[in-house]
Amino acid sequence: MIEEEAMAEEKYPINIWVNEERFEKLQKAGLADMCEEMLAGLKVIRVYCNEAQKDKILKTFPTAKFDSATTKSIELLPREVKDKIFDKIVEKQSIDIMDDFLSQY
Amino acid sequence: MAEIGHGGKEIVERILEPTEAAEKIKGLTAIPIRSQIANEVIDLAYGFFTPLEGFMGKEDLDSVCKKMRLADGTIWSIPILFDLSEQEIADYGIKVGDTVLLTYQNNPMAIFEISEIYDYDKRAMCQAVFGTDEEKHPGCARTYAYKDKFLAGKITLVNRPKINPPFDPYFLPPLEMRRKFKEKGWVRIVAHQTRNVPHTGHEWLMKGAWFQTYAELPIEKPLVGVLVNAIIGEKRKGDYIDEAIILCQDQLRKSGYFGDHNHLTSLTFWDMRYAGPREAVFHAILRTNLGLTHHMYGRDHAGVGTYYGPYDAHRLLATVQDEINITPVYSMNWLYCPHCAEITSEGLCNHRDEWQKFSGTVIRSIVQDGVKPPRLIFRPEVFDLVMECAEKYGFGSPFVTDEYLEKRTPVFTIPPLSA
Repeated sequence: MIEEEAMAEEKYPINIWVNEERFEKLQKAGLADMCEEMLAGLKVIRVYCNEAQKDKILKTFPTAKFDSATTKSIELLPREVKDKIFDKIVEKQSIDIMDDFLSQY
Repeated sequence: MAEIGHGGKEIVERILEPTEAAEKIKGLTAIPIRSQIANEVIDLAYGFFTPLEGFMGKEDLDSVCKKMRLADGTIWSIPILFDLSEQEIADYGIKVGDTVLLTYQNNPMAIFEISEIYDYDKRAMCQAVFGTDEEKHPGCARTYAYKDKFLAGKITLVNRPKINPPFDPYFLPPLEMRRKFKEKGWVRIVAHQTRNVPHTGHEWLMKGAWFQTYAELPIEKPLVGVLVNAIIGEKRKGDYIDEAIILCQDQLRKSGYFGDHNHLTSLTFWDMRYAGPREAVFHAILRTNLGLTHHMYGRDHAGVGTYYGPYDAHRLLATVQDEINITPVYSMNWLYCPHCAEITSEGLCNHRDEWQKFSGTVIRSIVQDGVKPPRLIFRPEVFDLVMECAEKYGFGSPFVTDEYLEKRTPVFTIPPLSA
């Protein structure tokens, strides 16, 4: 167990920036406190991917980019893809949805 | 008084007046050129590439590859080449000693005096310039796409490019740029190389470099300027559109984050090679010719992927410092610290566990998600202008799309020759 923890896999966030439309949906679902605040007041939900999920996302969505130099996050997913991830979060009331989301692809 | 550029050579514009041009091009074989070559023809003719007067011959190319110098010993890091296939050379009936007419957009652009026709091992060129011969490196891909023969010789522009709005105020070739600096009274000018719409991290990179450059100079009147020199060249889908880049950079001045007394925006035509350290040296040469005294370099300057270490460019620049006439200004990253509630430098702030780094990519992601970033991160005037550019120039998007690539107004046009 200790060894497993020592080898814990690195996690890479997808930042779902919460615009007014998304915030309204969160409020309706009673999930507004899921948001973190970043960068001087931006609301964001961070969904974490493991290495395999990151690779699958970059392969499935060619516009996506892993910002390896600065933020170590997965960026530039098309807005409609992020909307689907967001809807899945609201549906499952959890950010642990990547396996479920990626199973469609 | 002569303006002296890189290598101690005088900057000379190789441009004919229309009447003389019309006479000189009579009867010449016309060879159409692609955008990369047209960009480099402009750079050669206006002196951006001083001391080069034309496309490189084999001796220069070999020396650039093996020693990062021209054959005469002048530091030079990136090959400047004109390529044709053997078949094209035969079809045009070109031989050494000929003068041909280069055309672009079906109009006469430049005279090319062919002094040499040769070939060169492209794989060896890639290894020397990019430190790799992998085809996935964009500079290697560009090199492998060259046709099999290279032609060397002097270039003389016969037709000045018409720079189309909104880019027209920003094309300031070396001699004009140097006049501009004198008018402003700047004695030190630091270059900011960019292909981005600026966020406040970029803004503070410039402000930090301005402080570094000012150093011991007296502060009674403005003596130091930042020159934003945007690289305009081949676009890839997902990049910011050129109009947004150039106008938003200038917006920082117009909105008062800088002023006329310390900030100027300009453009240079160049297709990035992503050669990392060697491109950093090339940028130093380019900006020396533009009359700059200092040049900003951050981490992984002009790099791509994981080909170069973050400070490889700094180390290579140090090896040629005595031979390039520009001082590098090394910049640490700027980031947002919620504890300080401000943009700060990673070299200053010690709230390391609280740091929130951001990048151009993250800002693009925020904008794509339909969110307006806070003013501490992205200036509202810049955000509004990005959106305006999307409508006015980007067919609804601030980022390059297929439609933009197909329908955009070119940055410059070569008009019919008016004698």
